[in-house]
Amino acid sequence: MNNYSNRLCTGVAKVGLVASILLTAVLILSSVAYAEVPNAVPPKGEYQGEHVPQPIDFPHDTHAKINGINCMYCHTYARRSKVAGIPPTSKCMGCHTVIATDKDRIKRLTEYWENNEPPPWKKVHDVPDYVHFTHEKHLARFVFENEGMDVDRVSEVCAFCHGEVKDMTVAEKTKPLTMGFCQRCHEANGGPSDCWKCHK
Amino acid sequence: MNGNDIDRRSFLKVMGWGGAGVALAGCDMPTTVTLEEGKETVVSYLMPEEYVIPGRGVWYASTCQQCPSGCGIHARVREGRVLKIEGNPSSPVNKGGLCMMGQASVQSHYNPDRITKPMMRSGGSLVEVSWDDALAALKTTTGEGAEGSKVAWLTGTVSGHQRVLLDGHLDALGTDKHFSYEVINGAVVRAAAKAVYGDEQPEYDMANASVVLSIGSDLLGASDSPMNYSRQYAEFRNAPRGTLVQVESSMSLTGGSADRWLAVRPGTEGTLAMGLANLLLSKHGKDGSGLSAATKAAISSFTVDVVVKETEMQAADVESLAQLLADKGANSLVVVGGVATGYSHGYQTAVASMLLNVILGSVGKTVKSAGGFPFEQLSAQAGSTGGLFEFTDSANKGDIDVVFVYGTNPVFTAPTSTGFADSFAKVPYKVVLSQFEDETTVLADLVLPLASGLEEWGTHVAAHQTAEKSISIQQPVMEKLYKETKGFGDVLLDLLKIRNEADFGKFDDYYAYLVSAFGALPADFKGGADDKTFWQNALSSGVVAVEASKADLSVAKVDVKVASYAKDASRPYNLTASARLGLWDGRYANIPWLQEAPDVISKAVWGSWVEMHPITANRLGVKTGDFVKVESEHGSIEVPVYAHRGVHPDAMAVPMGQGHKEYGRFAKGVGVNPLSILANAKDEQTGELALSSTRVNVSKVSFNEEDKMVRFGGSESQVGRKLVASIKADVFNRTEGA
Repeated sequence: MNNYSNRLCTGVAKVGLVASILLTAVLILSSVAYAEVPNAVPPKGEYQGEHVPQPIDFPHDTHAKINGINCMYCHTYARRSKVAGIPPTSKCMGCHTVIATDKDRIKRLTEYWENNEPPPWKKVHDVPDYVHFTHEKHLARFVFENEGMDVDRVSEVCAFCHGEVKDMTVAEKTKPLTMGFCQRCHEANGGPSDCWKCHK
Repeated sequence: MNGNDIDRRSFLKVMGWGGAGVALAGCDMPTTVTLEEGKETVVSYLMPEEYVIPGRGVWYASTCQQCPSGCGIHARVREGRVLKIEGNPSSPVNKGGLCMMGQASVQSHYNPDRITKPMMRSGGSLVEVSWDDALAALKTTTGEGAEGSKVAWLTGTVSGHQRVLLDGHLDALGTDKHFSYEVINGAVVRAAAKAVYGDEQPEYDMANASVVLSIGSDLLGASDSPMNYSRQYAEFRNAPRGTLVQVESSMSLTGGSADRWLAVRPGTEGTLAMGLANLLLSKHGKDGSGLSAATKAAISSFTVDVVVKETEMQAADVESLAQLLADKGANSLVVVGGVATGYSHGYQTAVASMLLNVILGSVGKTVKSAGGFPFEQLSAQAGSTGGLFEFTDSANKGDIDVVFVYGTNPVFTAPTSTGFADSFAKVPYKVVLSQFEDETTVLADLVLPLASGLEEWGTHVAAHQTAEKSISIQQPVMEKLYKETKGFGDVLLDLLKIRNEADFGKFDDYYAYLVSAFGALPADFKGGADDKTFWQNALSSGVVAVEASKADLSVAKVDVKVASYAKDASRPYNLTASARLGLWDGRYANIPWLQEAPDVISKAVWGSWVEMHPITANRLGVKTGDFVKVESEHGSIEVPVYAHRGVHPDAMAVPMGQGHKEYGRFAKGVGVNPLSILANAKDEQTGELALSSTRVNVSKVSFNEEDKMVRFGGSESQVGRKLVASIKADVFNRTEGA
């Protein structure tokens, strides 16, 4: 019994040791694979926005997650302008004249394109008219002028305010985007606190 | 006292934290007002131009279409929408400046009351038709077989290639009836300048003058080139600072900016000029050799006593003014215009004032030749009220069968006493080209909807020319808001195609015509560039510089005869319909920004008022805000009083621009129109409408509370609080150094 229990104990200890080694390895590995954005404290706050029906159920997951396309490949204006921009229809057709042309969604897209009409997307993220928000400045701070940050990981910065869009089909609002949300992030990351920086 | 007592300090602490809590909670409350999530459509580009970045503005050069001065503009366009207009620094007219009317042109463009489709009169009312129907109707009236039919154009100021096409249209019909009409015009001054200086539009070098005496001229406000003069004024005010003296019967924007503002009895400005001439010649020994013997004799009778009696100015003011001009000599500049020339003897007043420049030797120094514009066919056909009277005569004689109206609203601006409405009604077929349903448009038989000035092609030559000549390019800065509107040039081209398919059928649109016309300009003019480069450069800079043709001033010995003041006991006051940079002649009354901009003198918004001297107000038993009835021989208007000291006690001034019966939701029913009750009095020399000469009687009336005048700032004085500190110029010079 004593021996048995001793063995059992040893066994448990061994299992525990192996498990802890494995756990540590997983933790180390995961921290390498999913390191946080350097020099940044991501804003906190969750929000459950209403589902916004779109003319085409655009699958962000297929593009950004499965195929690993960089957010800024399509939202190309984000780094250059205050708005991220909905990609021009010509950009969609750049790939979809050859890729997945048999899918219903692509057929709808092609229909729009052939009628010389961009799909009438509905706005998902908005700030009031009296708020001046610029994508350009935020990307400069957290990506392009951020030492140790790799531009391939820009989606993690996008996720600060837009949530994990790469896990969604059509985008949904998952962050509150209220003044408190902005203000706390500015405080944590040393952003400007002058009223007129945003209200101008 | 019990245990729950808290001291003041704790109370504040708690309130402070509580307040912060409330504020933070507020910041996390999602806004419910302006979010467009799930509602607003975000339209992406189908295939964007490479330089287009959503959210970033692109600036296009064009030309302002708000008044005839033809300022160059830069329009900021974002996502295909024009958002902001600024001055184009390359334009010699405004050199980067832009007035409120130009800034407000976006509200003309986005105005919800735009006409969107052609309209034709049917069964007494205007109904929407297609362009095909409209052009078919025009083909019937002006097409094959219409030679001999009496076609006329009644327009505002037209220049550039639009003028070429308009002249071409009249040529093709074998007529020359083009009547150019503007209420706010410098026609009397131009005629006087032609007589005195031998050039109807010399250049005033205000920037290099040491003293400017302005007799009624509102250079900085409602003048023929407010931005040009404002820029010169800024230079004039830089060290060494020039002195501006303004003499007029009711204060203008320029008067409000003057170092010295002197009231003069309405209509006696010429007397003052003669009196100053007399003092300069007799007391200060200035050279009178440039004057005719008759003029010299006339001047000698205007002693200080006569001037004081006529003008009701102080003798000391007249003498010190003469002294100031004598001291600065040829560095003085005397300008005249505005309210001073609005009398039957307005021309004489202008001549008398200009003679002061001759006496002071400033002709050739501060009054210079601006040179000629080498392309006569492109130069501006400046409007005047003379154009209106010619039209009225012609229409009354039955000489007009078809009239095309563009860029003017004569039914609103012509005084009732001119009988314009009746003459206009006599024209059998009236075609009005307009952006808005104004008073003239609603009387039309055919309405052609015009594109806004920010949607059309054109070339313009400023009505007021400086020594630097240019052709200013107008290009569409965005797609047309309404597909069925057309640019003025395109309409002209359509009309010409009806008459002359052989020569004009080859142009698809006015743009094609302009490109070809630019290609046809002389090669040396293009500076060696090929046609395409030349055109592209013109579009990007907005202006094409043109070398001025040589011209000199030649002073003539003109005779002058200044009338003395005539009293009229039954109508003791003089009514001036004052012109303002803002609503102008009423064409901007449908722009809310300009309606809500406080007036430069009264600070009133969204309405009309009459300016009168506090002494007069006292005599009439009224104060600011009370209503009076202003009654002329031809009608009456009821307006609130604005009593201030910037008016001669015999003068009443009501700004023009309000009192629209049509013209959209913003203009209709706001204020009163002083032009409507003016007498049909004309300047004896030029035949121009005398805008300031109407005699009126004024009496107090009751009013409804909801009609009361809305003004910014209730107080005229600082009540001794020194909110704006001031210091006398000589003290400043002594203590701060000049």
